Amino acid sequence: MNEPQGRRVKRIDELKREIPPARDLWPAIAAAIEADRAAAAQPTVRRRSWMPAAGMAAAVALVTLGVFIGRAITPQAGATVASNPPTQSPYQPVSLVDAKYQAQRDALFTEVQAKLATMPAVERDKVSASLATLRRSIGEIEAALGRDPANALLQELLVSSCQEEMRALTAVRDSGSQET
Amino acid sequence: MKPETVVNFDVALIERARQGDTRAFERLYREHVARVHGLCLRMTRNPDAAADCVQDAFIKAWKALPRFEARSSFSTWLHRIAVNTVLEKRRGPANSEVLSEDPTVYEEPVMVFDTPVEEEELEAAIESLPQGARDALVLCGVYGYEHSEAASMLGIAVGTCKAQLHRARGLLKDRLERGVR
Repeated sequence: MNEPQGRRVKRIDELKREIPPARDLWPAIAAAIEADRAAAAQPTVRRRSWMPAAGMAAAVALVTLGVFIGRAITPQAGATVASNPPTQSPYQPVSLVDAKYQAQRDALFTEVQAKLATMPAVERDKVSASLATLRRSIGEIEAALGRDPANALLQELLVSSCQEEMRALTAVRDSGSQET
Repeated sequence: MKPETVVNFDVALIERARQGDTRAFERLYREHVARVHGLCLRMTRNPDAAADCVQDAFIKAWKALPRFEARSSFSTWLHRIAVNTVLEKRRGPANSEVLSEDPTVYEEPVMVFDTPVEEEELEAAIESLPQGARDALVLCGVYGYEHSEAASMLGIAVGTCKAQLHRARGLLKDRLERGVR
């Protein structure tokens, strides 16, 4: 300071207005912008797509796999049954055994039908097809259980499949409420 | 604020940035960062704090772009955001000092020295000023904002801004005469 050797100014507004930062700040800014965009994009994706379709695809795959496994083990189970005749009553469909579940499912299905009517045709077809596959799978498990009522695996499979169907129906019903 | 010469160039970039083009926003950043940083550095007196403020200011600007009115100056708008960011980081009122709002005080923001002053010495003298006086001097004296613009940015009355500038001029003159600190 005592040995001035830099630029001299006569007016204060002659001072440099531009002083570049010591490092490039853009990478951090760009990263923050990208993070912000990603966060903003998440609800948009949810809003635009009918998420039940993807969820149900997974559910259908799960149940279908279960049915396949159930079929694969049925002969073995059948052999067991043949050597140990069942003492319990013949298998009855879930709909007849658990009236509360059936009432809930029917009410949910009615709401889903209304929701399907509001979906774009392509999405509606996909969702309907997935729901039909789920229902068909449940029907097949029930049929298998009709032949082998004591099969614990099939029973477990039926319960999980019914749960998957209820989850799928709920997801379809609630899909409209995700829109903002 | 003095008229800008890059307005038309900015308008096209701003429009593209508003549509989500980050490369356009990067060009705006490159064009304005040195000026915004100069302002933040003089207000904070700390290079790290200034860099933080610049970063935050540009991020805020990106988020607020949809609300930017193309008719106004992008530079002024950006500076307003930067000043707000600095004030927020200070975590306190912009100017707690109570000053007289005497309208007769010196109103001309440009400060002319009798003899040329070495730039570094002047920067050091500005740095040594009290916060409120320094803010007014930086915005009005160095960056050429009108009292009303600077007062609006700082969240103070125009009279207070004038009084702060008057005070800054007195202190600055005194410090330069005495060898700054």
